[in-house]
Amino acid sequence: MADHKHPRPPWGSLQLRAGDILAWGELTPEDFRPAGSPEATAPLRPGPEGSYRRDAWRRFRGNRAALGALAVLLLLVLFALAGPLVVPYGYAQFHAGAENLPPYHYALADQERLEAELSRRAQAAPDPEEAVERALAEAQARGETLTAVDLARIRAEARAAQSQGAVSEAQVRRELGIRPRLGGYSREDLERKAAGEAVFPHLFGTDRYGRDILVRVMVGTRVSMLVGLSAAALVLVIGALYGAVSGYCGGRVDAVMQRIVEVIYSIPEVLVILLLSTVLGDALLAYANTHTGLLARAVPLLGKNLISMFLSFGLLYWVTMSRIIRGQVLQLKGQEYVTAARALGASGARIIRRHLLPNCIGQIVVTTCLQIPSAIFLESFLSFLGVGVTTPLTSLGSLASEALEGLWSYPYRLIFPAVILSAMILSFNLVGDGLRDALDPRLKR
Amino acid sequence: MAREILKRIGTAALTVFAVATLTFFLTRAVPGNPFLSEKNPPQAVLDALNEKYGLDQPLYVQYVKYLGNLLRGDLGVSVKLQKDYPVARIIGEMFPVSAAIGFFALLWAVLLGVPLGCLAAYRRGRGTDSALQVVCTLGVSLPSFVVASLLLFAFCGGIAGWKLFPTLFQAGDWRSYVLPCFSLGFYPMCYIARQSRASMLDALGQDYIKTARAKGLRTGRILFKHALRNALLPVLTYLGPQVAFTLCGGFVVETVFTIPGLGRYFVQSISSRDYPVILGTTLFLASFLVGMNLLVDLLYQAVDPRIRLGREAA
Repeated sequence: MADHKHPRPPWGSLQLRAGDILAWGELTPEDFRPAGSPEATAPLRPGPEGSYRRDAWRRFRGNRAALGALAVLLLLVLFALAGPLVVPYGYAQFHAGAENLPPYHYALADQERLEAELSRRAQAAPDPEEAVERALAEAQARGETLTAVDLARIRAEARAAQSQGAVSEAQVRRELGIRPRLGGYSREDLERKAAGEAVFPHLFGTDRYGRDILVRVMVGTRVSMLVGLSAAALVLVIGALYGAVSGYCGGRVDAVMQRIVEVIYSIPEVLVILLLSTVLGDALLAYANTHTGLLARAVPLLGKNLISMFLSFGLLYWVTMSRIIRGQVLQLKGQEYVTAARALGASGARIIRRHLLPNCIGQIVVTTCLQIPSAIFLESFLSFLGVGVTTPLTSLGSLASEALEGLWSYPYRLIFPAVILSAMILSFNLVGDGLRDALDPRLKR
Repeated sequence: MAREILKRIGTAALTVFAVATLTFFLTRAVPGNPFLSEKNPPQAVLDALNEKYGLDQPLYVQYVKYLGNLLRGDLGVSVKLQKDYPVARIIGEMFPVSAAIGFFALLWAVLLGVPLGCLAAYRRGRGTDSALQVVCTLGVSLPSFVVASLLLFAFCGGIAGWKLFPTLFQAGDWRSYVLPCFSLGFYPMCYIARQSRASMLDALGQDYIKTARAKGLRTGRILFKHALRNALLPVLTYLGPQVAFTLCGGFVVETVFTIPGLGRYFVQSISSRDYPVILGTTLFLASFLVGMNLLVDLLYQAVDPRIRLGREAA
């Protein structure tokens, strides 16, 4: 074929290209020889034995973005599961004297120089009363008058400068030529390190109680993944069954079931979840106190909010899934094999279980996979609202919302969980897109 | 046709009624009371307050009364957040604030999202397409509070010399609207771009596009007259409910940028158990949502004459 310098419109072109016509001249007589038997039958020979699953895997493997995302996901799982074993700090462990550490540190000598310089500058700052007098004198010289508000402001600024130093730490650091190093160490850690001990740094810094943010991000990733996966499982079971029944039965049953879907869709989910977490919270605590068993043991472990979040997911989030499955079932139920099964006396439950649902498997897998990121999304949103995961357990969303309070002074506390959260959702989305392309080429987007 | 529309309006009203009932009993099933607070008021005060707002009556009496008032268009008064202030007036004051931001957010989302999606579909498999795909997938993967708070940090003083916008929201000052509109519209923009790329690709593969090409129509005409019209349907489906949700305010964006909007107020009303406000705002959102869905159904016909109301495409 000729070169492809000119963009071809995606619908193909009917015009011949000059290059193609010229290329005809280069054909040799050999090209016009009648095809022999191996060549003639080659296109007819069936390709490599390809099951649906193997075909899908081949297509998925060809999708570099999806493969990369899968690798990132595996790394994140490793980070979340194995990470806390490596880091010697607990996620709920307070470290006195290590509060508000940034994710970097200075060498011990530098740290001392920096502190000396800062305190020197603080002392050099003018006394508040002096500053007021000076400002008054300046104003008089210009022929202006200062209001009481102006004076109060000048006094407050001078006082602030005296206590903190008139310049920021970053500025002094730059002037002294001190370079920050990776990982946060408290003063005590630095001294121990200088004495030759091996001290594990707070790579992401610490929060205001001195908890190590790296470990908290790892545990948060764990919780967020757990929420995403279990919510998707719930949605899968409820949504697929509801949609299949609604679509298969049709008629009045379908109409009623679809009205219910519409009502659920019209109630703001925040309302339901906020209310449910209050109602369920008390009920769950009472249950955990009086019963034993798996659920009762799970309550104190996961916290009541997390469990009510799962339940809300089960109650609310299957709507999209059920709509998609219903549409599929509506298309499939007119097919001959369904009629044949019915003629053989199969019950509705059997037809749905054995014939209809397996034929929607592509849609089901894809929708479930894309449900995971949206569940993680919602969990982080709820934690942001303050009804998500309860302390001391944490999730990426609650880490981010905690960080919002100190955003101006400690932006890295927001950035670390936000980056991990976004990477995780992005990877799930990419894997979901890849699966959709692989499992159902007709849906290729 | 007119009968179909009437029937649709009937079921829509039924849906709103069901939402009202469900919300009413859901809020009352929750333990707690609007008047309980840290101060622990004496029982006599509680009784008096309950009596004043009719909360001492049996639940079914309250329910019937509420429905009766609702039919007359009376949403009741706030019992906690803004005592004795009519709920309808609260919505009337807060909705325009949220709606202004939501409107501009969706406006830029559609005006940029659809053309970008078309561009990506047209340049399928090339650099432009891949770059747009990356941006849009990232866009639907970033939670709104991350986008909003990072923007707030970057452009409201967190980075020296970049303080372009005010930190505190001021109604009427256009600079206060830029960041909220951007963060509220970013997710829909990326979603719309992805959706319109997908449906555009689907449309471009159809036979009628080849026919149009064979007739010798210009590329622009094929893209915008023939393909886009069909590609718009899924975007429309998405936009219907999204308009209702976005105009009623995004809680996160309103919290981060301290905007006195309906979304933030709604969440406050839930945590303070202000029953009339919860019900009023929920009903407002639900009717808006149901109305938008109805409108989208009608618009379908305008865009695609093959679709008829009442007949399911199955």
